[in-house]
Amino acid sequence: METRDVEGVTLLYPRGFINAHTVRQFEGEIQKALAQGHFKIVVSCSGLAYIASAGLGALMGAIEEIRGNGGDLRLANLNETVRNIFEILGFNHLYRIYPSEVEAITSFRSAGAAGC
Amino acid sequence: MLRPVARRAPRRSNVGEGAAPAPRSVKASLRLSIPSQTSFLGVVREITKKMAESAGFSAGTADRLALAVDEAVTNVIEHAYHGAADREVELRIEDRGDEFRVEVVDSGASVDPRAVPRVDLPRYVSERRTGGLGVHLMEKIMDSVTFRRSARRNVCCLVKRKDSPPAR
Repeated sequence: METRDVEGVTLLYPRGFINAHTVRQFEGEIQKALAQGHFKIVVSCSGLAYIASAGLGALMGAIEEIRGNGGDLRLANLNETVRNIFEILGFNHLYRIYPSEVEAITSFRSAGAAGC
Repeated sequence: MLRPVARRAPRRSNVGEGAAPAPRSVKASLRLSIPSQTSFLGVVREITKKMAESAGFSAGTADRLALAVDEAVTNVIEHAYHGAADREVELRIEDRGDEFRVEVVDSGASVDPRAVPRVDLPRYVSERRTGGLGVHLMEKIMDSVTFRRSARRNVCCLVKRKDSPPAR
């Protein structure tokens, strides 16, 4: 999975799908960022076709530690399928979701910037 | 000696002048078996999506139905088979005209779906729980999700009516 750092924000680029088969790698990338003390994370989903509950569980398993360290995990570029899954489960109320990667990155400059 | 069998002419409808006979509707159904390995979830997803689209569902709804089946098969692998990779998961996918039905069948441990806790997202976050969302997602997507034990096998039956909204 491609990752990069921009303006102190760690960007993760999952590709294809995140389900029980691929979730370990996704979890591993999140944990790697946390181990390096990076608590501002954007998951950029332009290459993500769909996410199953295993992937949503990985997001949920990390969010408290991230926020407890003054950071956040935000999402960008969700396709309709992925956005719909978030809405079905109410995850759109737990995570800030931005239309673009740039907006997600810049949202960290101003605390409390609203997603959509 | 075999005698040729006379073919019966198709019965004509009496309704309307020269009306063509209504074609007998044959709906698609498919049975397949996969090993109890998560590497096959992609295959399950693609096949379910194609079958759902051919049954008349939109691409978006077909995506969600494929996700529900992915979740059901994942549950079997993780809970009924406890991660064993050498077991078999059977899928029966059927377009029944007014509804789309998928049965996921396994011969693993009996799993009591009533033991699955209701999803409470804030509690999940505070307790750092990462499981139990699958059944909840299946129930949101499908019109009905039922579990039964039959001939020492677990059958998870997922049904989506064609006239129902994409998700509840």
